Amino acid sequence: MTVVSQVKQSLASLKSIHAGLQELALISQDEQAQRTFHEAMMMTEEIIADIKKRIGKLEWEEPQYHGK
Amino acid sequence: MPVWLEVAIRSISIIIGLFIITRILGKKPLSKLSFFEYIVGITVGDIAGTMSMDLSISLEEGITSILIWSLFPVLTSRISLRNKKFRDFVEGNSTLFIKNGKILEENLKREKYTVDELLEQLRKKDVFRVADVEFAVLEPNGDLNVLLKREKQPLTVGDVFPNPPSEKEPQTVIMDGMILDEPLATMGLNRGWLKQQLDKQGVAVENVFLAQVDSYGQLTIDLYDDKIQIPEPQEKKLLLAAIKKVQADFELFALQTEAKEAKALYEANAKKMQALLQKVAPFLKN
Repeated sequence: MTVVSQVKQSLASLKSIHAGLQELALISQDEQAQRTFHEAMMMTEEIIADIKKRIGKLEWEEPQYHGK
Repeated sequence: MPVWLEVAIRSISIIIGLFIITRILGKKPLSKLSFFEYIVGITVGDIAGTMSMDLSISLEEGITSILIWSLFPVLTSRISLRNKKFRDFVEGNSTLFIKNGKILEENLKREKYTVDELLEQLRKKDVFRVADVEFAVLEPNGDLNVLLKREKQPLTVGDVFPNPPSEKEPQTVIMDGMILDEPLATMGLNRGWLKQQLDKQGVAVENVFLAQVDSYGQLTIDLYDDKIQIPEPQEKKLLLAAIKKVQADFELFALQTEAKEAKALYEANAKKMQALLQKVAPFLKN
């Protein structure tokens, strides 16, 4: 497995974490839990943006792995 | 009018009357009644019993007596709700038995309590060493309540986790195979969500005896068929595991890469994931 595909796998996991946190933020009954899940969700958004940038760079540096 | 008919009419009307009176008297459980209320209850019952059987007692006399006996406690409880002094007089005061870890012998004597009885009451509260007790008080209804010394108190969640996530009451959403819409709506959920969750676990609504949703939206179910094993909800645990995995991945990438810029980026994000993990872990455990 190439580096790009590994990083892409992590990105997919991150997206699934983001969705899971979002669901919990919506469904939780306790206000503090809602807030915590929401803040955690925002944090994952930042990380996802970072990793996407990194993937773009990797693909530019090693075009042979593009899209894989 | 034949005698039996009169007895029947009297009995039925007295039963209805007593039922109404007990409703008015309220829902204090029997064990919480004061001695006075207890005696009143017995007397009212006795009068009612005699009235229904003894035809020589006229109805007016009996009813007057019952009304006085049963309305008096209502009156006293109304007044004692308003007036503290009256309340102390009617319901009695509590008596200190142990204060600052020392037995107050004078108070024991005043309540005619022997040391053996005190020890017995303490044992009922799972206390076998008087030295473990900080404070004990005899309530007006005869119960002994005990405050243990700080180091002997049982461990609570708050002692281990300083700020435990709070849990709201779970809602029962399926009973006897029927979906209850009102509790579902209270949780902000609907039938579609419930159906999706049941499909995930592979069961049909008709087979569910009981289903509850906790405050984190986890569905736990009990089926009619007790042979089928239902897995516990895993979503929260899986989410926690996924967060841990991504965090570990980033640390690994940071070690593998040669480029300085990329290393810094992965390290920063690994730290962010660590912070995130610490933030949500208390909510995702269990």
